[in-house]
Amino acid sequence: MKRSRSNVRTKQTLSYMLAGVLILGSYSTSAVSSSKVDPCEHINRKLFVFNTHLDNYVAAPISNAYKWITPQFVQTGVFNFYNNLKNINVIVNDVLQAKLKQSAQDTGRLVINSTLGLVGLVDVARDVGLEQNDEDFDQTLAVWGVPKGPYIVLPVLGPLTVRGIPGAIFDTAANPSSYVGAPVQLLSMLNTRANAEGALKFIDEAALDPYVFTRESFLQWRHSLATDGQSQMTSDFDDELLDDSETLSISPASKNNRSDLTLSLSEYIKKFEQASQSFSTTANAFDQIAKSYENVSEKLDKLKN
Amino acid sequence: MVLKNMIMVLVLLLGINSAHAENINSARQVVDKFQTELIDVMKNGKQLGYAGRYEKLFNAVSNSHDLTKIIRIVVGKEWEKLSETQQQKLIDTFSKFSVSSYAHNFKDYDGETFVFDSEEETTRGGVVIHTHLNIPDEKAVKFDYMLKEIGNNWRIINIIANGVSDLALKRSEYTNILQREGFDALIAKINEKIDNYSKL
Repeated sequence: MKRSRSNVRTKQTLSYMLAGVLILGSYSTSAVSSSKVDPCEHINRKLFVFNTHLDNYVAAPISNAYKWITPQFVQTGVFNFYNNLKNINVIVNDVLQAKLKQSAQDTGRLVINSTLGLVGLVDVARDVGLEQNDEDFDQTLAVWGVPKGPYIVLPVLGPLTVRGIPGAIFDTAANPSSYVGAPVQLLSMLNTRANAEGALKFIDEAALDPYVFTRESFLQWRHSLATDGQSQMTSDFDDELLDDSETLSISPASKNNRSDLTLSLSEYIKKFEQASQSFSTTANAFDQIAKSYENVSEKLDKLKN
Repeated sequence: MVLKNMIMVLVLLLGINSAHAENINSARQVVDKFQTELIDVMKNGKQLGYAGRYEKLFNAVSNSHDLTKIIRIVVGKEWEKLSETQQQKLIDTFSKFSVSSYAHNFKDYDGETFVFDSEEETTRGGVVIHTHLNIPDEKAVKFDYMLKEIGNNWRIINIIANGVSDLALKRSEYTNILQREGFDALIAKINEKIDNYSKL
């Protein structure tokens, strides 16, 4: 297990979908507008920098110390323990998404690991072919038709979408480890950070722009989870290639003819427009999400009646 | 006469189908061959060292990926804004980066195996080969390869790992840097990554 861990982690991070993106947010430089997906990019980038520093100077040293003093089998046991608790949340969301067969499998997984697996310390269920499923309330909301809303980076918590906020609150409430003392929660955070090590290393090594890399991989990964991997396999960018021959609307020569005053004025106007667009996009997204909640609530009321 | 014509049509249809099946097979063969070469390099990773892995994988990647098309899609409309010299420099640098990334990340072997799952045709005449990488004691990683027929050869133009498209990811990064910091900054950043891969 120990022998292959670092290498295997690196390879797994090739999927870019890992917990590492949940830890970080990004580096500086002013934003090229990323349209509707990331209307608050300039703020998000600052928070990403903050989270990166926080990770470098606080979380990483503590996590490294934890890994250094804790034997591998204990780390694996801790990981399995928290992973097993997460199954309660997975089962609830299986049911909310009407994945009844999967909920039965996940219940079997929880029962086996909680008993034969010594309160979840050993992942016995995997050995009998019950793989861990990944379900959460954000995915449930996606299945119910709630749009994801804009991408945001929260201090300490990292990347999220607006839909992910109620998702995270629900998931925290449904996880038993949220109701025990601070030491257990601290160990849970340590475990999360320690297991994200490979992913963070991969981002550091591969990303030309860690902010964009984290954002895109996070959004794609979440979309893939929400659609159970069935999303747009056939999109092939050909339309974009066809557009390659389009001529530029503004030539470099015409740019040079502008006076400095005009340039700086237009820059201010552009920034102002970007900012106001950002706010209106965010507001629209909140409106859409609120409407979706209303629809979901109406449907639930009808079901009750 | 009618019967004869029907037979001819059937024969033609069969011919088309078998030719098509050959194409599908060849797309799968390209992926199979590439994955076999990758596993082979992993098995001998330590003895080969970074330089040896890079050398072996250069041909493997060049013969299976259409790197020129990939980088054109990655930079999108920015491609036309580049001079011919810049375009060639970008192709060369990107090719080195792609190979060095493989050489760095697939450096040793712990019993991993690639398994073919299925294949499907895309609406635009491409083929997607669905596979997964089995890793002992870990959750398998899904690798979906999107291929296009270039001339008579199938070439990989995108890899989707656990639902994350490499092409889409790079496209966001590269266009962002090109628009914000320019061509030289992009090349410098890629070269820095290549340099780091060779040292790690």
